[in-house]
Amino acid sequence: MKNQRKIVKRKLNNTLTENNVKKEEPDSTKSIFEEESDSGAEDLLSTEVNNNDESSDEEVNENEDVPVSDTEQDQIVFESDDEESDLSFETDSDDLGLDYSESDEESISLNESSDESKDENLEKKSKNFNIPTTSKDNVSEKLKRNESSKTNINIKNTSDTLQTKKQSKKQKKTNKINKSDELNIGEVQKDKVQNKKNLKSDIEKSKRKDTKNNTESNINNENNDKTIADQEVDEYEYDSSDEEDIRNTVGNIPMKWYDEYDHIGYNWDGKKIIKPQKGDQLDNFLKRMEDPDFWRTIKDPQTGQDVVLSEADIDLITRIQKRKIPDITFDEYGPWIEWFTSEVMKTPLRKFPEHKRSFLPSKPEARKVSKLVHALKMGWIKSTAELKKEREQKTNEPQFYMLWQSDDQAEEMRRIHKHIPAPKRHLPGHAESYNPPPEYLFDNKELKEWNKLQTTPWKRKLHFIPQKYNSLREVPAYPKYVKERFQRCLDLYLCPRALKMRLTIEPEALVPQLPSPKDLQPFPTTMSMVFKGHADMVRSITAEPMGQYIASGGDDMNLKIWEIATGRCIKTIPCGGIIRSVAWCPNQSLSLIAVAAEKKVLLINPDVGDHLITNKTNQLLEIIPQSDVIVSERVKTAVQWEQAEGDYWTNGIRIILNHFKIVKQVTWHGKGDYFATVMPDGQNRSVLINQLSKRRSQLPFTRSKGLIQCVLFHPIRPYLFVATQRNVRIYDLIKQEMIKKLLSNSQWISSMAIHPGGDNILVGTYDRKMLWFDLDLSTKPYQTLRLHGTGVRGVAFHKRYPLFASGADDRGLIVSHGMVYNDLLQNALIVPLKRLCNHESYNDFGILDVMFHPIQPWVFSAGADSTIRMYT
Amino acid sequence: MASATINNSTPQVQIKFLTKQEQYAVPDFPLSVHTSIVPNELNTLVNELLKESTDVKNNIEFDFLVCSQFLRTSLSEHILEKNISTEEVIIVEYVEKYPPPEPQDCLIHDDWVSAVAVCEKWILTGCYDNTLHIWTSKGKHHLVIPGHTSPIKAVAWISLTSDMATFVSASQDQTAIIWDWNIIKNSVDCIHVCRGHERGLEAVNVNYDKTVMATGGWDTMLKIWSTANQDENEDGESASKRLKSEHGKTRIPKRTMKGHKEAISGVVWSDKTEIITSSWDHTIKIWDSELGGIKHELAGNKSFFDLDYSTLSRTVITASADRHIRLYDPRSTEGTLVKTIFTSHTQWVQSVRWSPVDENLFISGAYDNEMKLWDTRSPKAPLFDLSGHEDKVLCCNWSNPKFMVSGGADNTVRIFKSKHIVR
Repeated sequence: MKNQRKIVKRKLNNTLTENNVKKEEPDSTKSIFEEESDSGAEDLLSTEVNNNDESSDEEVNENEDVPVSDTEQDQIVFESDDEESDLSFETDSDDLGLDYSESDEESISLNESSDESKDENLEKKSKNFNIPTTSKDNVSEKLKRNESSKTNINIKNTSDTLQTKKQSKKQKKTNKINKSDELNIGEVQKDKVQNKKNLKSDIEKSKRKDTKNNTESNINNENNDKTIADQEVDEYEYDSSDEEDIRNTVGNIPMKWYDEYDHIGYNWDGKKIIKPQKGDQLDNFLKRMEDPDFWRTIKDPQTGQDVVLSEADIDLITRIQKRKIPDITFDEYGPWIEWFTSEVMKTPLRKFPEHKRSFLPSKPEARKVSKLVHALKMGWIKSTAELKKEREQKTNEPQFYMLWQSDDQAEEMRRIHKHIPAPKRHLPGHAESYNPPPEYLFDNKELKEWNKLQTTPWKRKLHFIPQKYNSLREVPAYPKYVKERFQRCLDLYLCPRALKMRLTIEPEALVPQLPSPKDLQPFPTTMSMVFKGHADMVRSITAEPMGQYIASGGDDMNLKIWEIATGRCIKTIPCGGIIRSVAWCPNQSLSLIAVAAEKKVLLINPDVGDHLITNKTNQLLEIIPQSDVIVSERVKTAVQWEQAEGDYWTNGIRIILNHFKIVKQVTWHGKGDYFATVMPDGQNRSVLINQLSKRRSQLPFTRSKGLIQCVLFHPIRPYLFVATQRNVRIYDLIKQEMIKKLLSNSQWISSMAIHPGGDNILVGTYDRKMLWFDLDLSTKPYQTLRLHGTGVRGVAFHKRYPLFASGADDRGLIVSHGMVYNDLLQNALIVPLKRLCNHESYNDFGILDVMFHPIQPWVFSAGADSTIRMYT
Repeated sequence: MASATINNSTPQVQIKFLTKQEQYAVPDFPLSVHTSIVPNELNTLVNELLKESTDVKNNIEFDFLVCSQFLRTSLSEHILEKNISTEEVIIVEYVEKYPPPEPQDCLIHDDWVSAVAVCEKWILTGCYDNTLHIWTSKGKHHLVIPGHTSPIKAVAWISLTSDMATFVSASQDQTAIIWDWNIIKNSVDCIHVCRGHERGLEAVNVNYDKTVMATGGWDTMLKIWSTANQDENEDGESASKRLKSEHGKTRIPKRTMKGHKEAISGVVWSDKTEIITSSWDHTIKIWDSELGGIKHELAGNKSFFDLDYSTLSRTVITASADRHIRLYDPRSTEGTLVKTIFTSHTQWVQSVRWSPVDENLFISGAYDNEMKLWDTRSPKAPLFDLSGHEDKVLCCNWSNPKFMVSGGADNTVRIFKSKHIVR
């Protein structure tokens, strides 16, 4: 134990006096020592080690050192490795006897340590990452001293210390690692123990120092041992004499100088280090023969001792010889660790000259700068200084709180975006005054009234009785104040205020913009002609296709032919029955009028116009075409064709069709060969289609769909429009099927007219409406016109002009503009133009039929006042 | 001076009197008159002046023309209307007032009189009862000529000598008949029946040298016929035609011209070879009878019922399917076609006729039972309303300057005697 203390003391001296290298170490080591010493209980290992009569301090120191050799293997300059191996093992080789035991232990431990060393290596590797950072400081320090070698060493040391730290921690953690440490340490310790035992001298002490500071001192010594050239070169580079742990104090001199002496130098105490006994040739030979380790025994030039190289050293040497990386554990193919950055440094070590552009000011940058400058000038952006100044100014300014801010502007309330202020209360009037003018004070009557409304106070004009006080002082407290306030608050709270969007729509805006009637000329405006001559109501009129004559018939049972230009009645043909319908044959090569007189339909040749045609018509109708088609009973009972004779013929009547019911309407097909007759009472035989050329009749419908009012042929297609009381059905006569059903949505259809284009029909109803159906649009009316005050009796389209007219029982004839565009996308334009009211009322009937002139924009109306009027 | 006596509170203008009638000439020095002066006052003024300067003693009625339009209102209003400067001397032309026509006679027929033609003292009328009548201007009925089968729509004289006369009648029976009338024997012969129209005829007009006539009708064709006696200008073709025809009287048109789309309502020769027609298709067409084509076309916006052409003023007046009479100048190609619109009738105007001697005067007959005498210089109001008809006036004639004749739907022909002024 005494020895231990001594050593410790010496050690302390050593460290204090000579070892600059270890200047850093103490900090770390001490801290570790302290830690370890603090945690006495944990020092199981150290105690164990202490059992080997070595101070824990030393152990630790040595622990530091021992691993150094290990670590050196990892990352060390190779030169030093060689030397080191020389040295460190010399000390080991001191005690050969003990060597065995050690080697045994080692051999045992080697197996174990192979595992452990792996672990350690792993650890070291992990630590290696740390090393550069920690070593940097050291490096910087050492650089000042221009001692590159020492830097290496220092790095090792620091890494060692770290290792030892780790190890010490590891000791606590894993037994295995402890064991390996023990073993490692044990080796060295044993060495030392042997040294003590053998030498127990200063030389030994110096040796110990060697073992402690193995690398540094050894390096120096070995350097000396090496070739002189090397030495000379390295003499100053490795001149770290004052820092080394030296056992031989002769210094860094060629040892051959001591060849002549029996000592090779002096130890710290100034005593000679005697050269070890050199055997003669024979001894050497014997040794070579006997000693199995002879091949690996080398001589320490400084001390003259023999050193047996350890297995590790030999491995190392062999590896070096094989030009392999000395460290076995070094992974050549491991991931590249970038010790030095590859990035371009601020002051790169490049030889090529700078590019020209690096000397020229950058243009985009200049642009950017100019932009910024401009923005600064314009005040769009502010420099930080300005901003700071502003901020300061703001903070320095006195901050005022707007006391009445909410009075005139919306409060900034969260989640209320459109704040609606509470409605202002009415300002108090004179009645509220404490001293109101006398007229505001209640008189008895008013007071009585006020009192009478006690139960219904909200009906009162005032909610209080005006009171008069002489002075304000006498005014008492208002008793209802709190209540009223509360009521108001409730009102405001419980009745959320909302913005009401009020639309102001002018009635004019709702009316579609129609062109002015002035722009739609020509249309009939004035009455130009009155056709007088009938003795009773004129029920129906029709115009000659050329537009020279019209024909009319009515209750006076006469068919009259009129000249339009003069209003002269040219002919009167008695028909023997109330004429309900007349229709001029549209075929211009025939001169025929179909007249529905009671149950008869007369085909009359009016004998006006072209004589050739009238004669031809007569000739044609004289001959009865023979047909062998058997007429069915159903048709036969409904209608019989009869050739006119005698008086009839002279009157112009050519053919008579005797129907079984009163014929209400007769209408021609556009080609003038077929004509349809309507008998509303005919049940399922209401409609008859008659063919003039073959004198044949057909009943197109087997079932009646209702009371049929009127029928109409399509001007182009083979369609028949059949109007019942409510609806209009369109039948395809060729396919014999219903195509469409137009819903009039009215009570009673009276009349029907089709636009010459064939796509629009106009329906007049007794319930005062006129319905414009666009067949392309829908089955519902495109437009409903309520122009008349009473039922509409007749409607008509003009063949050429965009005009239509309607006559009603209110004696009014209304002319309207009805433009149908060829463009299918554009709907018809309907503009009522003129109301013409000249007929006189007769038995509540006004106008019974309406018709346009086939060419001119003139309209005719047949009135119940037995006149026909023409408007131009 | 009369003007001197008037108070000078109202603005005054300087006027100068001018006349084309030399017997009524007054010294042409400017006079200052107040602007509110009315024609009556001017009349007295002129009469005063006349009495001073000439030996005219009795008062004469004058009409005053300012800016070639009759002064009907006060001078100031007229000036305002015409936009004349009051700074300058206003020339006031005065003419002797047209004397009011006097109703002379009423010739009663059995039916509507739809056509009338006057030649010297003979009045030829056509009726709706298919007959023609010949009357003297004195009102003596000379002859009834049945022959047509439909109402006669137009009649025209072709020639008239002391003992023989030729005239033509156009009817709705699609024929025009040329009649030969022996005045001494008072017998009528149907010389030719002009067949060719396919529908009723509406108008007939004989050209100035009485050799050809033109007819128009509802078949939209304009046909030109020879009026000459068949015997005289008989050539081979017509002879063969005559052989074919039943009566040997049938005449076929010299030329048929197609162009109108609707009925031709009026035909008039404006030149030797030029025919102007009016039609229901809203157009007036000017035809060349020789070449047989349309020379010019005037479009109106109403159907035309009648037209007449004046050789004196070379303008056309038309009656159309409204109450206006329009004056066209067929020569002008640019500007508005309608030169003047005469509005006073309240119904369709059916017939218009120029005065044969005065370039400004014409008469019109309308469905408002009125015949009116117009001066082209007075578009707002006619000179005289010639009332008398109790129904529509269907036709009128002023071939003889002395008589204005009109026929109407009241079955009468009214004769108004016009005292013509020599200018």
